[in-house]
Amino acid sequence: MAVIHDMMPAFELFQPASLDDALGLLDRHGADAWVMAGGLDSFDWLKDRIRKPAVVVELGAIEGLRGVKASGDGIEIGAMTTLTEVVTNPLVREKFGVLFQGAEAAASPQIRNQGTIGGNLSQDARCWYYRAGWSCYRAGGNVCYADTPTAVNREHAIFGADRCVAVNPSDTAPAMIALDAKMVIRSSKGERIVDAQDYFVGPGTDITRLTTLQPGELLTAIRIPGTWAGAEFYTEKVADRKVWDFPLVNIASAMKVNGSTIERARIVVNAVAAQPMRLEAVEQFVAGKPRNEETANAAGELAVRGAVPLAHNAYKIPLMRNLVKRAIRGGDNGWASTS
Amino acid sequence: MGIDFLTRGITPWGQSVFTHISWDLLWVSFFAGVVFLAAHSVYMLLSAHSKRASADVDALEAKLKGLPEKIQRHSLPARLFHWIMAAAMLTLLFTSFLPIVGVKFAWVEWHWMAGLVLAASILYHIIHATFFMDFWSIWVGPKDIPELKSEIMRELGGDTSGPKAAKYPLGNRLYHMAIVVTGIGASATGLFMMKKVQTPFFTRDPYILADTTWSWMYVAHGAAGVALVGLTMAHIYFAIRPEKLWLTKSMLFGFITRRQYLEHHDPTRWRVPGSEPVGGRPSE
Amino acid sequence: MANDYKYIGKNYTTPDLVAKVTGKAKYAEDYRAEGMLFVKLLLSPMPHARVRNVDASAALAMPGVKGILRASDFPAPPAPPTPPGGQAPPPPPLPPETALTDEPVYQGEPILAVAAVDETTAAEAIELIKVDYEPLPFAVDPLDSLRPGGANARAQGNVYTGAGPTLKVANVKWTDADFAEAREGRLPMGEAPDTFVLGDIEEGFKKADLILDETLYSQSTGHQPLETRTAMAYWQGGKLFLHGSTQSVAQTVPNIARMVGLKVDEVVLISEFTGGGFGSKIPGSHSMAIPALMSKKLNGVPVMMRITREEEHYIGRARAGIFGRAKVGFRKDGRIVAMDFFTIQDNGPYNPQGDHRSAGAMASLQFQPETFRWRGISVLTNTPPRTSQRSPGGMQMNALLDPIMAKAARKLGVDHVELLKVNAPAGKAPYGPIVPATKKQAYVTQANVREALEQGKALFGWEEKKATAGQKRGTKVRGIGVAVGPYTAGSIGFDGLAIVRPDGKVQVQTGIGNLGTESVIDCQRVYAEVLDTPWENFEVVWGNTAKGLPWTCVSAGSQTVHAMTRAAHAAATDLKTKMQEVAAKMRGGSPASYKVSNGKVGPLTFAEVAKKAIELGGKYDGHEGPEDINAFTKSALKVVAGQGLIGVAKDNYKRDGNTHSFVAGFAEVEVDTETGAWHIVDYTAVADVGTVLHPRNLNGQTFGGSMLGIGHAVSQRWVYDKQYGVCLARRFHHNKPPSIMEIPHTVKIAATDIPDPETPVGARGIGEPPVGAGCGAVAAALVNALGDEAFRRYPMTPDLLLTSIDSKSLQHDALTAHI
Repeated sequence: MAVIHDMMPAFELFQPASLDDALGLLDRHGADAWVMAGGLDSFDWLKDRIRKPAVVVELGAIEGLRGVKASGDGIEIGAMTTLTEVVTNPLVREKFGVLFQGAEAAASPQIRNQGTIGGNLSQDARCWYYRAGWSCYRAGGNVCYADTPTAVNREHAIFGADRCVAVNPSDTAPAMIALDAKMVIRSSKGERIVDAQDYFVGPGTDITRLTTLQPGELLTAIRIPGTWAGAEFYTEKVADRKVWDFPLVNIASAMKVNGSTIERARIVVNAVAAQPMRLEAVEQFVAGKPRNEETANAAGELAVRGAVPLAHNAYKIPLMRNLVKRAIRGGDNGWASTS
Repeated sequence: MGIDFLTRGITPWGQSVFTHISWDLLWVSFFAGVVFLAAHSVYMLLSAHSKRASADVDALEAKLKGLPEKIQRHSLPARLFHWIMAAAMLTLLFTSFLPIVGVKFAWVEWHWMAGLVLAASILYHIIHATFFMDFWSIWVGPKDIPELKSEIMRELGGDTSGPKAAKYPLGNRLYHMAIVVTGIGASATGLFMMKKVQTPFFTRDPYILADTTWSWMYVAHGAAGVALVGLTMAHIYFAIRPEKLWLTKSMLFGFITRRQYLEHHDPTRWRVPGSEPVGGRPSE
Repeated sequence: MANDYKYIGKNYTTPDLVAKVTGKAKYAEDYRAEGMLFVKLLLSPMPHARVRNVDASAALAMPGVKGILRASDFPAPPAPPTPPGGQAPPPPPLPPETALTDEPVYQGEPILAVAAVDETTAAEAIELIKVDYEPLPFAVDPLDSLRPGGANARAQGNVYTGAGPTLKVANVKWTDADFAEAREGRLPMGEAPDTFVLGDIEEGFKKADLILDETLYSQSTGHQPLETRTAMAYWQGGKLFLHGSTQSVAQTVPNIARMVGLKVDEVVLISEFTGGGFGSKIPGSHSMAIPALMSKKLNGVPVMMRITREEEHYIGRARAGIFGRAKVGFRKDGRIVAMDFFTIQDNGPYNPQGDHRSAGAMASLQFQPETFRWRGISVLTNTPPRTSQRSPGGMQMNALLDPIMAKAARKLGVDHVELLKVNAPAGKAPYGPIVPATKKQAYVTQANVREALEQGKALFGWEEKKATAGQKRGTKVRGIGVAVGPYTAGSIGFDGLAIVRPDGKVQVQTGIGNLGTESVIDCQRVYAEVLDTPWENFEVVWGNTAKGLPWTCVSAGSQTVHAMTRAAHAAATDLKTKMQEVAAKMRGGSPASYKVSNGKVGPLTFAEVAKKAIELGGKYDGHEGPEDINAFTKSALKVVAGQGLIGVAKDNYKRDGNTHSFVAGFAEVEVDTETGAWHIVDYTAVADVGTVLHPRNLNGQTFGGSMLGIGHAVSQRWVYDKQYGVCLARRFHHNKPPSIMEIPHTVKIAATDIPDPETPVGARGIGEPPVGAGCGAVAAALVNALGDEAFRRYPMTPDLLLTSIDSKSLQHDALTAHI
């Protein structure tokens, strides 16, 4: 069978108007159904004819899945809220700047207008071997094309490689974990709520998925508690281009500082493993320490302990180390801004 | 229409290759095992499967005065090998098939470490069996047809004068044969597969073999693995059956009793110190 | 000519602009026709294979599938013409490229096409086709192919040798001893079939106070025009009508005719708007033949072939990557006394490419070294076909040499601008190999590089920025760099054609492509200037060869502005002369006594003169024309004859030297030493392109060209998996051309505006030279910021820079292609 790309195969399209309808459809069609949010990830798979679902359930018409609302001292974000809506929301900007910056760093303005927060968090790996439709481990096969003597793996993992070396590419996932967000997952069987940190899974646990989401389940909302509202945040994304690019490494942190002492912090790095990595050892290390260069340096070194580089991604070790250092240290003092 | 026994994938060149056997075959093996166990249990309740009659044993015992009370059946190295292999095998089976049936965990490192233990123990066993044990005692060949015949006769309830088991009963040896094929098959292919994952020993390189060679290797590994599920079930079943417990004990402690020896074995075919009769050969 | 022009050098709005910004402009993909079918392509999954068998029975049995096109449906390429009395030229060393093939030589090469009622059906049909391939040996990295025992990309060999009638494909393998240098990170330099030498470099190096020997790699990059090479075709009255995307309208017609097996006047090309080409669509594309031949096979029914972005990556051409090693000897003052420049070119699988040769010639021009040697080897690889990409070879020269200049400036303690000035070409500067006929080098028409450097230095604020260059603030360090991009910028000898219509309007016919440069319109401003008549009186007809368009240069190699202002000048002068003659015939007196100005010829209006010309016939209304115009123009003349007073002429103006333009680029970069991320703070470009034809457009072209070069430095990628020889960076977001955010924070553009003495209008082309200047200046600025051991390959992405900064040594190699 010859391979042809860039032509979407025919499928039955459902655009349910309510969550219950959507869950009913997923129940009815089981593994034949493909869930589509903004379509930025889905269309890649569909157009390349690598995935050919019989049914696509498009969630855009479900009003209840959209919008940001206050919830206690925190907020609740509907999974179908666009990244642009997240970026422009005053509550997000005021209380959870780390999420605002993470979302704003994603892709390009056009993509953010269409892409959703749920989709950004649940997107699949972008490893170009996997995305080429080859039968790699992540695609259910038994080879990793990205870790061979001749593989080009600049964008791949330095941690947690378990056969597959793909990374989670999300720009908003680190912020969500840093903010200790709760992911609300619904299925026809009911609701389960998991910590953002546990929403993401590594290849050891499930090599074909990046999240805990199972067929029939939908991520409906993200609840961000007030715990870290207004904390000191740091985000940075390093990529080849300043727009329309996935991170080489990105970081999000939330820190409570008393005077010059770090009380506690949550620090999360992405694009270094198949899951966003919460650096709990670093968090424990910096808690109670003075916020200075020495702490920052030690934190950076601690963060990259155990990293295993591939042929082309050793740079991720100093990059991650330095980003952690900067997160502890806060903004750098470079030249006056010229942008 | 039919069952797809093999799962297919495509190479980067768009060529179709097998990625592994269909994991449905795991259930086939499992249920085949269960059905066999059930059938065997029922059969055991009904069949005669006689051991040597008590009177005959008494006669033999009287004749073979030199036989010690305890007869060594498995040396310590042999027993160690068996149990290490058993542990490795169970680890391998659980680490490979639990994730398939839905128990998700990071299994790969455990799997290849257990695989290395298995491979090392097999290597040890081959050397040990070749140079320090009666190599052919476990083998099956045309010379075993009389034993097969008499075993069948006995199972059918008739007593027969045909040969009884030498050191290893025929069933035991047939099982060993199956394990040799599947175990070596699984571990040899598994050793190659270690080139495909991150280990401290090799640089990952899936390109040491051609895509199609790999595809058959995965099929072989999977088929052997699935077969081992059924074989292991059968093995454990026999090990815990009441009438076989004397054998299981011997694998733990190394010896069987004189009486067990005489009940189940043919002293002319498994010679142990003292099995030479005093004043003539046992009746045949 | 002094700059007292009324129209030339003034800003105005081109007539196609409104259509472009309102979306009314129709590109090839925008056309629809009754009963139109759609074509989809089956692409080779392997980098090199032979198609043993194709089973399309299931596909052809599908409802809605109308036909299949194979390589065997293509006409045999016509034999090259035998010169009169001469011998037939030898056959080319490799069979020529056709749009479909049964021996794919790169992954993604089209094997066959299927036509169906819609694209969904065509795609489903493609999936049902079973192709049996025999994989053949392949090579994607030139160095791998040169290694002992390395695979050849083609059965005939792996390296092009010779040129013209002696062109051959040979089997060249270097020895292990040659490759010993690779272990030290230096480019191995084995047998290289191409070379030219100027003076004695050994003697030159003896005079040197500083010798640098550096290896760098400039990667292959796809052209990536925003409009893919979509085409639609149908047949009517025995003629082929083709809507396509091309850089050059007139010169695409013979190309289509040759590919499809037609006579030139049996082809009508419609291409009013083209969404970029950058060298990849110079005479259209091979793939244009697919809808043309499919339509022919299906009795002329319209066939649309939309090319996807991924297909564009494969068939859309690419710049040849070059591994370069240069040993350069400098005198204390920065003067280059010897340069030994070695290049290994990634030729791709088909035609011989000349980028490496151009790189050598441009190095000899740009640095005017006292002694010089260039050596080159062009290695065939199973990667997408290469062709000229804006500043082919010129850009690579800048990429490979300007970092060395920055390093030398630092080591010698010489200001980098001064170093370039002391080596700069001036006046009729020589370049390239010794020409056998004259026993001398060729030379340019005019170079004002020192002036451009001086002007740029002031505009950029070089001296002020120099004070802080190399200093670190916080985690950031800045650096400045400068480079000069030289390139050919004009050809001669093409035709102009215009009509003074009976309504008094002047209708200019042009065969220039509307590829985004606006030269299609800008060149015609010369008519207004020569006729001294407001621009509002002029209309330009372009983009449809049925309307009678004259023979025109290809829009490539920055030729157009030079070539076609000359042709316009010739035709406008012809118009003026004829109008004066007609006026004299109408009112008596000498023709010269009638002043042509402001839409009038003396007391007569253009309209009156035009009507009279039709009455007079003959040469005045185009029923007769000059003998020396191209046959293509003669056909066009037949179309327009009788419509008014016709001006038609070939550019026969003299020229002493070969036309070249120069751009001096200045860049300031800022690098974050903790992340390797960097951006361009400030960029200035000064163009030495003769007379400025259209300032706003010159700015646009200089800016766009600079960004193309900057993209090579910043982010643009091309990635192949060596094991399977297949493309990994197959999506646009993998290729990473520079985004709007990679644009320097401030950009200043200016021109020397010194008229070229060898052309009547004084204008030269701008297309190519800003590309190399942009790439070279940014690379030099990075060397200035980070020191000598920052990078050895392009693009200089954060990962490369960070590892160099972090380990204080180079951690990447320059000897692997496509990573």
